[in-house]
Formats: sequence, structure tokens, C-alpha cells
Amino acid sequence: MSEGMDLERTKQSSRTDRNIRIETLFPEIANLYGDHANIRYLKLCLPDAEYVEDMLSAEPHFATEKPDMIYMGPMTEHQQELVINKLRPYIDRIKELIEQNVVFLMTGNAMEIFWDRIENEDGTSIEGLGIFHYVAKRRMFNRYNSAVMGLLGDIKLVGFKSQFTHSYGDNSSEYMYEVTKGDGINRETKYEGVRRNNFMGTYTLGPILILNPDFTLYLQKLLGVEEPKLVYEAPMRDAYEERVRQYEETEFVLT
Amino acid sequence: MAKKTTRFYLAMFMGKLARGTQKLLGMNATFFPGKLALQICPDFMGQVDKPKYLIGVTGTNGKTTVSNLLVDLLETQGIKATNNRSGSNTKAGVASALLINATFGGKSKNEWGVIEIDERSSMHIHPYLKPGYVVCTNLFRDSILRNAHAEYIAGIISANIQPETKLILNADDLISSGVAPDNERVYYSIKRLPTDTETCHNIINDCRICPKCGAELEYEYVRYHQIGKAHCPKCGFASPKPDYEAEVHFDEKYMLLNERGTQQRYDLISDSIFNVYNQVTVTTLLREMGLTAGQIRDGFSRLHIVDTRYNKITVGGIDVIDHMAKEHNPVACSVVFDYLSKEPGTKEILFLLDDEKVLENMTWMYDCDYEKLNSPLVKHIIIPGNRAKDQKLRLIMAGVPEEKIIIGMSDEEAPNYLDFEGTDKVFVLHQCYKPMLSKKLDGMIVELIRKREAQKG
Repeated sequence: MSEGMDLERTKQSSRTDRNIRIETLFPEIANLYGDHANIRYLKLCLPDAEYVEDMLSAEPHFATEKPDMIYMGPMTEHQQELVINKLRPYIDRIKELIEQNVVFLMTGNAMEIFWDRIENEDGTSIEGLGIFHYVAKRRMFNRYNSAVMGLLGDIKLVGFKSQFTHSYGDNSSEYMYEVTKGDGINRETKYEGVRRNNFMGTYTLGPILILNPDFTLYLQKLLGVEEPKLVYEAPMRDAYEERVRQYEETEFVLT
Repeated sequence: MAKKTTRFYLAMFMGKLARGTQKLLGMNATFFPGKLALQICPDFMGQVDKPKYLIGVTGTNGKTTVSNLLVDLLETQGIKATNNRSGSNTKAGVASALLINATFGGKSKNEWGVIEIDERSSMHIHPYLKPGYVVCTNLFRDSILRNAHAEYIAGIISANIQPETKLILNADDLISSGVAPDNERVYYSIKRLPTDTETCHNIINDCRICPKCGAELEYEYVRYHQIGKAHCPKCGFASPKPDYEAEVHFDEKYMLLNERGTQQRYDLISDSIFNVYNQVTVTTLLREMGLTAGQIRDGFSRLHIVDTRYNKITVGGIDVIDHMAKEHNPVACSVVFDYLSKEPGTKEILFLLDDEKVLENMTWMYDCDYEKLNSPLVKHIIIPGNRAKDQKLRLIMAGVPEEKIIIGMSDEEAPNYLDFEGTDKVFVLHQCYKPMLSKKLDGMIVELIRKREAQKG
């Protein structure tokens, strides 16, 4: 976890889930690798929270109302451009929400939307929202697949990456977690993703909340939930502990 | 056709020599000869003579069945087609098929060819093969490691289909129907079925927004995943109008195919919607290529779908059903789970959808409709292997009661956990790469049932 990102400073005021609003951006497209299961699982853990979805065709709820959490999953390269264009009018609002400690969770290539730009192999590039000063570089015939393990504070995170891009820029002061096995935002760094206040972006994709029970509890704490809970905790921990054991025992060969 | 070079003749000679040697050693010889030929002459596929009537078959699901149906149906009409059914659908497999079915001088031995083409390998095959016809069955989410997403694969196919190729496309799939938009094309479709719904009942639908303007599509009906009929309320984009449209009568096992205004009747060779699509695909293609409806009817009446992915043995009144489910392909697995859920009778399921490599990505499980396995008729699900705990959690999240899920044994021990009492069917669901294991376990299950029968006297 980045310096200063301690839980007490960043968590929202204590509450039950009745007062929590969780907003999913563009679920009709940003759901490529089982990522939609993150919100499905949160709905089980926080059944009384309010869940809203923003479609590409409508104004996002966050434009006029403050959510407690915004989630977006990975999408196709073409759809990244649609999303960037959709969110461009709300750059200042997004910055404001980040400053206000709203929890953002962006999985897979969703975080690239917020970068300065995404570069194609042919030299063209797509201007991002420019909220974070990184550049993603696409290599469309060199897909990068890997498992990954790392530390967010004392939470051991495990998961998967599968992507056409890597990101470049110095995230050493605002990374989401430090990789212990695998790579960070590119092959040269162990710093994975980005963390600014409660904005968390990571190339780790899929149902990361289901794969990582302690992170899910942490996320609930960030949302200010007084008594965080995990539904199906026992089988979830069984699967998690097995994966941690397997990862620790296995040599990572990256492709 | 590229001019044949000395390297080509050397490649042909060496490839045939390698094939002969491999055959003598009892090997399949449907991959290495082509690989060797390509190493010697990288333009081997461009230089070898191709069959006059060459068909390429690609798409996420159904391409093997369509290819096999085409080869078998043509054979019933006395037409031998060059094909790669016993080999790989990637570059080396296709090169092998062409090599095997060519003379030393590079002349094709057959006038017809049916080549199954791995969609990810399009760039290595289409520019050399230049098939007169290409069928694209559908494009779905597949292995995220290789295929990323359906839009990516559609882009690869579009970029590599040659301008002279005529496409046979599924109008009910808005992703595959849009490939290579400048090519001549023929669309087929299956009319609305009573089982179609107004909203998608699967977890994933990869075509929810208009590919032209990005507005949310309105579906008139959904069959499964993105298969159905849709239009864009904003820009007018819509499912293509079919040239061939089937009205399917499952109860009476036939379909009426409207073929550009003329109606023909064909008996169904399978009662699964997926195989009806395969049959409509084959019929559309062969009608376009000039076969008569009578020839096609006759052909279908003389063959059945050889489903290497399905095998049933009945012993002691229990059906032991071995069914392949392509792991990492959430749509293919959902289809198998759906089929299994609709089968009557009580079931025990042996799950062999494992990953030998523990670092393998398993996120596909959450795109797959495990919910279909949450049925009172499913008695137990037995899961050996590295992924057992992940599978168990996914099943629990799908609503399957925890007490029905049994894990923590080796593959070979798994059959001992099956409960045959009151069981009508045992399903062994195995992944592509474990057919030998599943066959071994099938045998063990049959033995256990026989022993049980013997004990009962």
C-alpha cells in the first residue's frame, strides 16, 4: 500500500450498509473476465446497500449525486474509447470524488481510462482523462498472461492478469499494492496499479473480491461498514488459502 | 497461385517422407509433415495447389461439427474432400492436410476441400488458402489467454479474410455477422422459437451495445448469450435479413428452410439447437455451392452427428455419459451445463474441469452459468484436482447446496464417491485435454455399477 494510505485516514464514517450507494460504470460492456461477479458478491455481503448502474446511453449518477463506491471492469479496446469519450465531460467531478475519498475500484484495463493516453503500435494514441499521469502501450499480438501475488499493507492479494497493454510512468508513490510474485504495471516494476486516496486501479482482473477475502473486508471498512462480513466465508477462505499456498510453492513463468 | 519454387518441391518431398515415416511408426502424421514443409518453404500453403471448391470453417463454437458434417455429407454424394479433421486447425495442421492430399508435384488430388480454421490462426492461413467460401459459425467469449474477447477475434478474421471469399454468416449473431463487411455474404437464421426470451438468461451477452453508435441494443428475442434478434433504436442498425431462414419443428424433428424464397423441408439430425444451427449452416453453404436440396436431404439421411465429445454407456439401468466441456470457454461450458440441467432423471456429476497448472486463469468460471447446475435432480458433484476449491466456491455461489459438493480426492479415487442409489445418470464432464482420463474413469464407473448389480444379485 502506498505511504499514507492507512485505513483510518481514508475510510468513510461508520455506518451500516443501508446508507451505502455503490455505482457500477457501464456494466453492459465493462465486464469481460468474470468481473461482474465482484458486484454480485458485494450485493450478498451488503444486501441493504443501494446499487446503481450507469449505462453508456445515460448521464452517470455520480454526475449529480455522490456515491460511496464506483466500480468498473475491463472492456475491449474499442469500448475504452467509448468510455473515455463518455467520461470526458466529468473529469473535474471525478477528481472531486477522488478528493472526497470515494472508493473507486477499477479492474483490468479500466484504469487506463484515467491515464494521460493509450498508445497503439502504429504510433497513434488515444487521449485519456489525464487524471493519472501514466501511458498505456498496446501490443495487440503479444498478450500478457500471468498470475500475480502481492501485498496491500499486510493483506496478501492473489489474482490474474491477461492484457494487451502495460503501463508506464512512476507509480512508486501511488501504487495499489506491491507485487511479490509476478509484475507490476509493467515488466520492470513491482508496483502494481494506482492508489490515490481511495481510488484503486489494478490490472488484476476477474472476481478479485471473491478471490481475496481480506481485501473484501478491507474494502467494506473503507466504505465505513461497522461490521464487515463475508458471505460463504469458509469456502472462500479455503480457496484463497489454497491459491496462496500454490502460488508460494510455484515458480512464476511469465508469458 | 504463387509460382512453385525449388524449396516448395523440397518441402513437399520432405513432408511426404516425414509422413510416411510417421505412419510406419504408427503415428497420426497430421501435424509434423506440415510443420516441416512450412519450415523448409514458409510459402508452402501459398504455392501448393488448392482444391477448386475450397471451404474454410471458423468461429468459436461448432466449427468442428460443421466441418465434419460437410466432409461426411459430401462423401455420401461421392465427393471426397481434402480436410484436416484428424489433425490440427492451426497452420501446421492445415499445411499437413494440403500436403497429404496433393501429389509430389503439388497438384491437389481432390476438387473439394473443407478446412477447419482456428480463428486465432486466421492471419497464417486465409492469405495463403484464399478459400472461395468461409463459414463463420459464431463468435463468443473464449479462452481469455489466447482470444481476449470476441471483438478482438472478429477483427483478426476481418483483417485476414481475402476479398474474393464469399462468407456464410449467422444472422442471429451480431458479432460474427459483422466480420469482413466488404465481402460478399450470405446470411442464415433460425426463426423465433417458443423457448426464446425477451431478456438474456445467461450471465454474459457480449453484444449489448450497438457496434455502430454505442447505444444500447433492443432485443426482440434472445436465444442464448448474444444469439437472437436485435436492433438499435438510435441509428437503425439491426440483425441482418437472412437469405436462408429455418422454421424449426422440434416435436416433429424437421425444419422448413426458406431458401431465398423457396421452401425446402429437411429432417433434423439432432434435437439440440446448437446442432440445428450446424445443420442450417451446412445446408446454406452447400445450397450456395450448387448442391440440390435432394442431395442434401439424402446426405443428412445417411449420416449422424459423430460427436466425439459425447459418449453414453448404459449399465445396470444407469446412463454413464461422458461429455466434453471446453474449460476456459464459458459459453461452451454453459451450453453443456444447460443441456445437463434439461436432461430428465437424477444425476451424479463427476467434474474433471481442472487446470494442471495452478497459475492458470480461472476467472472464466464467473462468466459461466454454473447456476444451471443448481437443480434438485443433481444429487452430487464430485470434484477432484487443483481447481476443486475454486469450483466448490463457484457452485456454492450458484446456489448449489454445499452438502452436494464433494472435493478432496484424486482423479482415480473420484468414481468411488459417486452414489448410484436412485441415480438415473452419471455425467463425466471433462476438458479437451483429458479424454483418456475420462475414458479411464468411465470404465471404472461402469465396473462399480456392475459390481453393485452383482452384489444385489
